[in-house]
Amino acid sequence: MYALIVTQMVVSGVLMGLIYALIAYGFQLTYATSKSINFGQGELVMVSAFFSLTLLNVGVPYWLMVPGGMLFGALLGLVVERAGVRLALEQKSEGWILMTIILGLFAFSVAENIWGRDDRPFPTPISSNPIQIFGIHITPVEISVAIGVFALMGMIELFKRKTLLGKAFEAVSADRDAAELMGISATRTIMLSYGLSGVVAALAGILIAPITTVGPTMASALILKAFSVAVVAGLDSGFGVVVIGMTLGALESLTSFYLGSGWREAPGLILLILALAIRPMGVFGKASIRKV
Amino acid sequence: MKKVLTISLMALGLFAAQAFASDAVKIAITGPFSGGSAPMGISMRNGAMLAVSEINARGGIDVDGHRMKIQVIERDDEGKNARGALVAQELASMSNLSGVIGTVNTGVVLAGDRYLQQKGITKIITPAAGSASMTQWSKAGVKNLSIFRFSADDSIQAAMVVKEAIDRKLTKVAIFHDTTNYGVSGREDLLQQIKKQGNKLKVVTTEKFNIGDKDMTAQLLRAKLAGAQAILIWGIGPEMAAVANGMAAMGMKLPLIGGWTISMSNFINNAGKNGNGALTPQSFIEEPITPMAKRFINEYHKTYHVSRIPSPMSAAEGYDAVYVFAAAVKQAKSTDTHKIKEALEDLRAPVKGVIATWRHPYSKWNPANERTHEAFHRDQVVMGMVKNGRIVFAHESDKQRLIKEAHGENSK
Repeated sequence: MYALIVTQMVVSGVLMGLIYALIAYGFQLTYATSKSINFGQGELVMVSAFFSLTLLNVGVPYWLMVPGGMLFGALLGLVVERAGVRLALEQKSEGWILMTIILGLFAFSVAENIWGRDDRPFPTPISSNPIQIFGIHITPVEISVAIGVFALMGMIELFKRKTLLGKAFEAVSADRDAAELMGISATRTIMLSYGLSGVVAALAGILIAPITTVGPTMASALILKAFSVAVVAGLDSGFGVVVIGMTLGALESLTSFYLGSGWREAPGLILLILALAIRPMGVFGKASIRKV
Repeated sequence: MKKVLTISLMALGLFAAQAFASDAVKIAITGPFSGGSAPMGISMRNGAMLAVSEINARGGIDVDGHRMKIQVIERDDEGKNARGALVAQELASMSNLSGVIGTVNTGVVLAGDRYLQQKGITKIITPAAGSASMTQWSKAGVKNLSIFRFSADDSIQAAMVVKEAIDRKLTKVAIFHDTTNYGVSGREDLLQQIKKQGNKLKVVTTEKFNIGDKDMTAQLLRAKLAGAQAILIWGIGPEMAAVANGMAAMGMKLPLIGGWTISMSNFINNAGKNGNGALTPQSFIEEPITPMAKRFINEYHKTYHVSRIPSPMSAAEGYDAVYVFAAAVKQAKSTDTHKIKEALEDLRAPVKGVIATWRHPYSKWNPANERTHEAFHRDQVVMGMVKNGRIVFAHESDKQRLIKEAHGENSK
């Protein structure tokens, strides 16, 4: 009984951790190409989830809503890049930090005004009745989270490795100046990375919404965890965010089980401090050597 | 020239209308009209406004021979303590305010009411249920209190919740509560009631959660491990829905018995079918079992274009509270808030409301007994149950009792 309950806690935690991983992956995508991060990524998750809910409410079928929501996320990502990041990068300033925060706050107000402040249920055709696997209860909705996360991350990783555009992406990530000398447009590649990052955020919103409900503050807790995951894993390892995300999720679950739910946030912060102190490039990060 | 005359006549008319408006009974209605508690705040306001427009349609309140209409000032406290304190300060500084009706969140009551009490402004708290709202005054030993309550308060509710669990032959329960003033004082009420009712229930674990928490897995599994047979819960809609959904996701089927907040639409909507069977004390059930209830429900649906009142109990309490207040104004023959307070403490004419007929709901404040300023008794509260998106009577006997009582009233 006891072991079963602990396993149940770990499983629930790991599933939550996968969402952290997916959002953290969105941070990585833009950091790789532009060394910039969208601090409004949480609002991107939230606004995309609200938009997808609206699609469902006007009668769009679920399986059409998913790509619709992701496309919307991509558009939002491009807007963030154009409005908040590009100019700052051109001027080699750190202005994108403030700009992305402002865009996030703006999106938050817009969402509150359009959709209100209440949490709303997010209907899904996937069943939320639990099934038992070795005595562990898990719902198909939770399984869909795992499948969705791995499928999207897998596809983006394949795209980066196997396609010409993806290789351009990798080239800009490795060395922007050299890539530009080879005729690759860094600006376009950065646009691409922001678009992809938006897709990732939208899918995270769509996957988590049936479990947590949709509301303006739905991502505010998630985003901090995701940021910890991205930093602890290192800002350039897709594999790393998955491992660290799942670990953090499990740790959180176990902490709240053993120490009480008030301590839930502790492991993430401790991990973050440890990582920054011991391995600032991240557990899975590569120490970059810059030749000057 | 003619034009000038018309314009000045119109302006005169406007001034006259304004002079007339200031000759009104000014009351403030406050509550959370946005945020997690909004279903209760909006329903309370809408219920109160129904009563106000009914009274005004009849020409207003008879104040010592003058017919005076009710003029309402609305303030949104957003369910936030700090905002509530600001609203109360603003209202306390108004010179010709006859009274205040409202407040949903116990924390907001605790943050704001002292400003009204300082100025002696009469307030009827509705529907905030936390015990601390009134016990704060008895504990401080206040001699003269202008704060009244019109709600099925937590001590009544906790007694019913504990009794329900005992009646169901349960012995081991888990207490779940949120970390707000409401949740913490609810936990204290439950523990006190368990003791009072003979320690027949053993609390195997006490779990808390924060506003905004979505994942209740840890708390639920701890309850499971401790062998709880039911969860007694004190919180608001969204988090209680997360508890119900969390249980369903792990195949746990413990009865959920909790405060009246289980009737909030954001519990019922967000929990969906997982909320079915949850039990909650209610002062009003949205079933047209009496002519008065039928008329009220129809009016509400028609006026606000809904097929379900977001929080029926808040709406009914807001409605009845306005009638009780209006009766006090009539008896006081004045719009002076101090005289209205005295009239409320000795209300002679019965007030026919949708929940009950209120006979002498309050008496002179006695710091040793806060029930002197509490309108509700156990009899005015019934046990409700969530069933397919609505709250229905959990016990048929309650329903029959109310029908019989209403019948008795009409034949009198």
